[in-house]
Amino acid sequence: MSGQHPLREADLIYCYDGSLAGFFSCVFESFARRELPFAIWPPEEEQPSLCPVQEIPTDPGRAGRVRRGIREKLGPAAAKTAAIGFLSGQPDKELALLRYLHLGFGEGPGALKQLGRPEVAEALGLVRSVEWEAEKYRGFVRFEESGGMLGAVIHPKNHVLPLLRPFFCARLGGEDFLIYDAAHKEVLLHQAGKTRLEQVTAPLSLPEPDAAESEYQQLWKQFYETLAIAGRRNDRCRMTHCPKRFWADLTELRDQV
Amino acid sequence: MEQSVMEKLTILADSAKYDVACTSSGSGRRSRAGGLGSCYAPGCCHAFTADGRCVSLLKVLMTNCCSFDCAYCVNRRSNDLPRATFTPRELADLTIAFYRRNYIEGLFLSSAVLGTADYTTERMIEVLRLLREEYGFHGYIHAKAIPGTSPALIQRLGCLADRLSVNIELPSESSLHLLAPDKGRREILRPMGQIAAAAAASREELTLYRHAPAFAPAGQSTQMIVGATPETDYQILRLTEGLYHKYSLKRVFYSAYIPVAEDSRLPALDTKPPLVREHRLYQADWLLRFYQFRAEEILDQSSPYFSPYLDPKCGWAVRHLELFPVDVNRAPYEMLLRVPGIGVKSAQRIRTARRQGTLGLEELKRMGVVLKRAQYFITCRGFTGASGGRGSARRQQIARALIDPGVFNAGCEQLSLFSAPAVQQLAAQGTPPRLAGRLVQEEAVQCLANTL
Ligand code: SF4
Repeated sequence: MSGQHPLREADLIYCYDGSLAGFFSCVFESFARRELPFAIWPPEEEQPSLCPVQEIPTDPGRAGRVRRGIREKLGPAAAKTAAIGFLSGQPDKELALLRYLHLGFGEGPGALKQLGRPEVAEALGLVRSVEWEAEKYRGFVRFEESGGMLGAVIHPKNHVLPLLRPFFCARLGGEDFLIYDAAHKEVLLHQAGKTRLEQVTAPLSLPEPDAAESEYQQLWKQFYETLAIAGRRNDRCRMTHCPKRFWADLTELRDQV
Repeated sequence: MEQSVMEKLTILADSAKYDVACTSSGSGRRSRAGGLGSCYAPGCCHAFTADGRCVSLLKVLMTNCCSFDCAYCVNRRSNDLPRATFTPRELADLTIAFYRRNYIEGLFLSSAVLGTADYTTERMIEVLRLLREEYGFHGYIHAKAIPGTSPALIQRLGCLADRLSVNIELPSESSLHLLAPDKGRREILRPMGQIAAAAAASREELTLYRHAPAFAPAGQSTQMIVGATPETDYQILRLTEGLYHKYSLKRVFYSAYIPVAEDSRLPALDTKPPLVREHRLYQADWLLRFYQFRAEEILDQSSPYFSPYLDPKCGWAVRHLELFPVDVNRAPYEMLLRVPGIGVKSAQRIRTARRQGTLGLEELKRMGVVLKRAQYFITCRGFTGASGGRGSARRQQIARALIDPGVFNAGCEQLSLFSAPAVQQLAAQGTPPRLAGRLVQEEAVQCLANTL
């Protein structure tokens, strides 16, 4: 892949299956035809449009070539940007990442260190917001125990489960646990030392807490409330660190929503 | 009647809460197969209190029954308040239950002096032993060493904890003597020295034998109370700098004194906790640790107090206007760090990006560099600096950008505790808080503008 020829802006929408391999197939297509599509849509975004739509089938071979090309020609940092940026929940992430990759292959890996270039700034912005949210959830996931299994529900904007996976597997290695991302219908399941990350078709819900579980939740709420210093209440500060959208899944704040 | 765990937790969390904010982390401990917990290096906030502080650890006292009588402390022997004591098992169980639910990153265990220092420490050790040995807990543990504890017990505590701390309590010997008659400076510094030496020895052993037991791998920290005694900011900062060097401390924490008792040796009960001062100390401490500043660059004998209106880095820059503006495409990294408004992350991004081509304002903005204050101190491609100095309107504009907007009670009908002392004074004399904030802000702007 190289960008000797100028890119053509095409009035065309690529549709793909929403997977990373599918996206890399789109990247392959875009490079092969030296064109920048008007948009790249995952299945859930398909809508009537004036532009012609082109289905891009997921091709593991092509995806693999793109993956290797990124790693070998652009380096591990760019590979990470593509992989983490792709977890973003932002609607136009695919196009942003595609522009980033065209810049890298067109002008060489050095161009990707020009953090002030719009293509680079945008891609790194995606990464930053995904990582910010994942970091928040490392703290904000709340498990409830039921029959020896720990379960948690979250509603993130981005697909954070792949980033939470190593963290919680290290932390709760000897436990059975699941984290359900209700916004994207994905579940991270760790059972008997084995971990799976998969889509679910029907929404999951956790069982009602039993007496012991309720007691621990009460203890935690009490601890949380005791820590606040009455005269220093500062809602704005709390909101910056812990925006309201997280509250519904937090044991200690749920009933203030 | 036996107290319930709920009652104990309420009392013992309450007693511990005035202890500084967020103190997690510092060590990356790898989890072991089948065990519970890992220690996560950057520190992780699990919740934020209504006042906006990070909750990272289960921070409680083992007991608040104290045989000492430190004047500044709510738990002092002579104070009448509800008392409680956890059994080691109760506390270990609670820690595990909270940790498994991801409420916390670990345990921060402190204690009042139950009988003797050694007896108290033995009970603390028992909690840690249960956690580490019986429950196989690898999460983070920060334990406070009680002044006067015998060296052998400190050694044992350090082998179980990730971080140890000894509170220096007050910034000078004479203050300590006056207010904490049961504790001597030596009693505090001896364990500090012991911890520093043991940690250094253990690091050395670890390089030789990978499985040598680690002694407080996250290092030690300390804490002091600010505003109960007459030390200046400069004295406190010098002390801090000395502690970082001499005892290789990882952190020094400051806590604004909140009056707890009518006592002629202490500030009056209606004194407001000096939160702005505490905040400035943390900022200056940050400059010492991450921005390569020395204490005497920040303050000195002739100006020993922080300005309530300027953060210390800005304060330094206005006193050194002759060094600015700097060219972001050329200035050494150390100098970038000294530009008001440019933090470590921005400076690093600039350093990376400028290797690939010269930067202009547009690039800086896209990289996330905040220019509100920085614009007066930098030049870059196509930009010769918004540095002012001519015309009083211009100077005022700069001053307005530089002063810290957080301390003027902005837009609040109620007086915020974070407002500058002058705002609080005006408000106490009957000026409505919002107006008081605006008046003081104008005055601060004028005053700063005149010096530019
Ligand atoms: S020894 Fe500690 S708990 Fe006891 S009175 Fe002094 S400061 Fe308070």
